[in-house]
Order: sequence, then structure tokens, then C-alpha cells
Amino acid sequence: MNKAAIEVVDVKRSFKSVKKEEGWKGTMKLLFNPDYIVHDALKGINFTIPQGEFTGLIGANGAGKTTLLKILSGLIPASSGSARVLGYDPFKRELAFRKSISIVMGQKAQLWWDLPAIEAFDLLRAIYQIDKDTYKKRVDELTTLLDVTKLLNTQIRRLSLGERMKMEVIGAIIHLPKVIFLDEPTIGLDVLASQKLREFLKRHNQKEGATIILTSHNMDDISELCKRILLIKEGSVLFDGDPHTLTNSDECLLKVKLGTEPSTEELSGVVGIVATAIIKDEEDPTTYLMNVTRSRVAEYFQKLLTKYSVADIGIQEPSLERVIQRIYQQ
Amino acid sequence: MSTTAISNPAGSSKLAWQVEWRFAAIRNGMRDALAYRGDFIINFLSSALVPVAIQLILWYSIFTASGKTEFAGMTYPELLAYTWTSLLFSQIRGGNYDFDLIEMIRTGNLSTYLVRPVGVVAFTFFRGFGEKLATTGLCFLLGIIAIYFTQYHIHHFIMGMMMALLGNVIAYLFSSTLSASAFYWENAFAVLMVKNMFVSLFSGELIPLSIVPEQYAWVWKSTPFYLFVYGPTQVALGKWDTQIWANNMLIGFAWLTVFWITLEASWRYSIKRYQGLGG
Repeated sequence: MNKAAIEVVDVKRSFKSVKKEEGWKGTMKLLFNPDYIVHDALKGINFTIPQGEFTGLIGANGAGKTTLLKILSGLIPASSGSARVLGYDPFKRELAFRKSISIVMGQKAQLWWDLPAIEAFDLLRAIYQIDKDTYKKRVDELTTLLDVTKLLNTQIRRLSLGERMKMEVIGAIIHLPKVIFLDEPTIGLDVLASQKLREFLKRHNQKEGATIILTSHNMDDISELCKRILLIKEGSVLFDGDPHTLTNSDECLLKVKLGTEPSTEELSGVVGIVATAIIKDEEDPTTYLMNVTRSRVAEYFQKLLTKYSVADIGIQEPSLERVIQRIYQQ
Repeated sequence: MSTTAISNPAGSSKLAWQVEWRFAAIRNGMRDALAYRGDFIINFLSSALVPVAIQLILWYSIFTASGKTEFAGMTYPELLAYTWTSLLFSQIRGGNYDFDLIEMIRTGNLSTYLVRPVGVVAFTFFRGFGEKLATTGLCFLLGIIAIYFTQYHIHHFIMGMMMALLGNVIAYLFSSTLSASAFYWENAFAVLMVKNMFVSLFSGELIPLSIVPEQYAWVWKSTPFYLFVYGPTQVALGKWDTQIWANNMLIGFAWLTVFWITLEASWRYSIKRYQGLGG
């Protein structure tokens, strides 16, 4: 195993905020005697990421993903516990640490809106002390790979979202950081732009050996790029491992098209599985998707035949998105 | 790994790097300011001409109504000269980068800068200073043209310009210290608004500070604000000689040191409260 790039031991983080009650009474109370709410965003997180690993950090909104990234990139301190990135305490924000990391925030522009990307890159060259020849070669290589060479002299504000995000990614990795934090880099991008960015990130990870943590709600990003996922729910790690172990379980989706339109509750009673594991197809009300155990498919099929006429039947592998959705609902 | 994270060119010292990124930030700020040249000129004219027009009308009314030839030791032509010269220096002082800092803290955009290997306050200053240099260049050009048609001296104007630039740095350090209040208070803009009010009054931007009665002069003299507009104007108009200029430059550097220390302390302490809001 490679040396650890990131080590997180029992990291907790709480946020204190003012509670505002409704109406004038609440406003006056806020002025003279405010109440505070303490929200535990992270409740004791533990993991280690070896150098060069591409890890996915997934979870619902408010699960604590971005808070964790902020702690690891040194933006905010942990309330307790210890986080080390490349051996540094992130919140000390030592110069060598800041030169070795990078963060891309899909919802925040990091380049200057009114300037063309090439001028922003030139400033980053000076900030990260990259010699001019290396810089030119690198900009040329990265922009060619992402197909944005012709846009280098266009103002950032005039670029499309996908083009801007590609420039943001180039700006974030131009100094070849050893650790990269990507916070929803494909948010709002179309299929083609997302795919191009994924291919680029995969190549960069393999070529440069950078350790990358990616948060995304797009499961294509996760399944294509990450060999490992950390699934976070309400500030705790629910799952830590290979995403394929989640989808390669004994579960599968049984898709059936019936001659009638029974309710999911009725179908649940006939087949003997919980109603929440059955979904009625919105476009075709006679088609149902059932989350079932693979080894018992024949048994369920027989039960269906006792009550209904079955027009069609098929088995689908569960998508990562669906598996995670189910874990979240449990 | 194929390459090291940061290349370190031969002979490139830490000092050279410190100088290089600052110049790059200034250059970047200047380009940003000049990205929309029409906007730049309109901003310059609108922020300068309206206050000047008000002052000119005001002084004309005062002199006409009172029938006096001198007011607070200044003749009407001297007041006109003060108004026009102070207009140029008031364009150099300040800038919006203190407001930018508060906005960055409030919205979480500060995160973008905190992860970079440069000081966020210094970086914002040098970028803002770059923007201000574009304005300074225009003011300098207008000043030179004006001097050509009048009896004033170019070296006085340059000395005044130097004081105004020192004032700009002091203004930024002071404002940035105040902007740290945004770590505690969400709408800290009010602090800067109040500050701007005091600065307008005590910098000599609205009225020549020589109008203030002698017994109250200690009020403006005990702030650094007069170094922003009033001091440079007095130097440019030849009212302050080289000795007074040098003394006030020293006072300016003392203020700069004080505000540098308060700025470092306030940010070092307050940054612990940063939450990086906004996703």
C-alpha cells in the first residue's frame, strides 16, 4: 500500500448558529437574548487515503461532505479529532501545504470573471512559481486535452458553463498539486462536457499520481472514476470501500410487465416483499420494478404467475445511484 | 509521480517569488480595471465631476453672498485650484477592495484565496492596487496637462502623488482591519460606510481642512486621513514645502506600521471564525 496522503481520525465538527423565531417577538429576542442551535455536521469521521487514490465522497445534501473537504483543505478547523494531509495539519495552512493542494468548487468561480483565462493562468504561474517554459507546455497540453485552446483569450464570463468549468479545472491543477479536492465539478454540465471532464480527470490521476477526493451527486462520475467511495450520512461514514461491492451484491431489479395494474401494496402482499421495494413505472402503469434477492427470483416469478398474467419479465443490475438511494432510505 | 508539484527555477529565490507574484497581481488588477475602458472612464468622471460641481457651486455662492475675497485664508482661485487638485487625489485614495473582502467573507468566496500560497489580504490589496494604478495613471496625466497651463510645479505634483499612494496603502490597511468584523457580523458593510463618512470628512475631500478652526485642528491631525487628499493637495499646490512633506511622509509610514500590525492581528485571530459558507 502507498504511503497515506490523507489521514482522518475521529474528526468532529459542529456549527453554532442563531435561532430566529417568527415575528416581532422573535426579532426582539434575537437582538437582546438570542438562542443558539448547535448542528453537528461531522460526528467522528475516520479514514485513510493512500497517495494516488481517486476517492468518491458521496451523500445527500447536508450530509457533511463539503464540511469535510473544507477541513481537509484548511479552510476551517475540526472541532475535535485529527486531520493530516500530506503530513500537514491543514488548518495551520503552511506555505508548503498550500502549494501542494488544490480545490475546485463547482458552485464557486475561482477565475476572474472579466479577464480571459490566459491572464488568470499567468497570475497562477507567478503565484505557484512555475517557470515560463514549463507553464507554456502545461497550458498547451491541458487546454488541448480539454479542447479549450481556442478559448484561452475569451473572457471567462463569455464562456459556457462547461467551458468555464474546464478552465477552472486547468487553473486548479496547473501547478500539479499532490492532493486535489473536487467539490461537484460536473454540476450543471451536459453529458458531453461531463464525460470529457471525467476522462481528463482519470488521465490526470493516472499520469500525475495525484490523490483526488471527488464529491458529486452524479453517480456516473463516481462509478467511472472512483475505486473507493466514502458514503456519508448525517455526519458519519456509512460505507467505505469499492463501489462495485455495493452493486455486485445478491440484489437485483426484477422488471415485470403485467396484464393488469395492481397497486404496489397488493403486489407486495402477493410476492412477499415490502411495498417500498416496488416501483410502478410512471410511463407504463402495468410495468413494475422490484428490488429482490437474486437467488429468489424464480420463487417470486411463480408467485406472480399464480395471481397475474405476466406479459414480460427481465432482470436488471441495480445502478449505484439506486443502491445508494436505498441505503439512504434505510 | 512524473513531476514535482512546484517547479523551482534555478536562481529563483524566495524574495524573487514574493516580488513576482505581487507584480503579477498588480498587473492582473490593472487589466481587470481596463477590461471595460468605457466603464472605467464613465466611473472616473461620474465619481469625480459630481462632487466637484457641487463644491464649485458652493464656493461660488459663499464668495458671492459674503462679498469677501478670502475665506479661511484662501482666495476664490485658490479654492478652485484646491477643488480640482483634490479631485485627482481623491480618485487615488481607497477603492472598493475593503468591501470586496467583506463580501468574500460573507459569501464564502474567501475560500478561493485561502487555499492559495499567498496572503489573502496582501493579494487582494495588490490586485486592488493594480486597479487603482490605472486610475492613478489617468490622474497623473490630467495633472501634468493642468500643470502645463498653470504656474504649479511638476515635482510638487509628483511628491503629492507619492503621498496619495502612501495614503492609499494606509487606507487599505485600515479598511481591511475593519473588514475582519465580517467574521463576527454578517452585515459588516455598515462599519465601512461609517468609516467612509469619516474619511470623506477628515481627508479633505469635501472641504479643505484649513477651514477647520485652529482649536479643532487636532481632530483631523490625529487621524491619518488627511494624508489621503488634503496633504497631497497642499504639497501639489506648493503650500507644504519639502520638509513638511517629508515629516508627513514619516508620519504616514508610522501609521502604516500601526495598521499593518492591527491588520495582521485582527485577521490572524478572526479567521478562526470563518465558516466558508455557500456550498
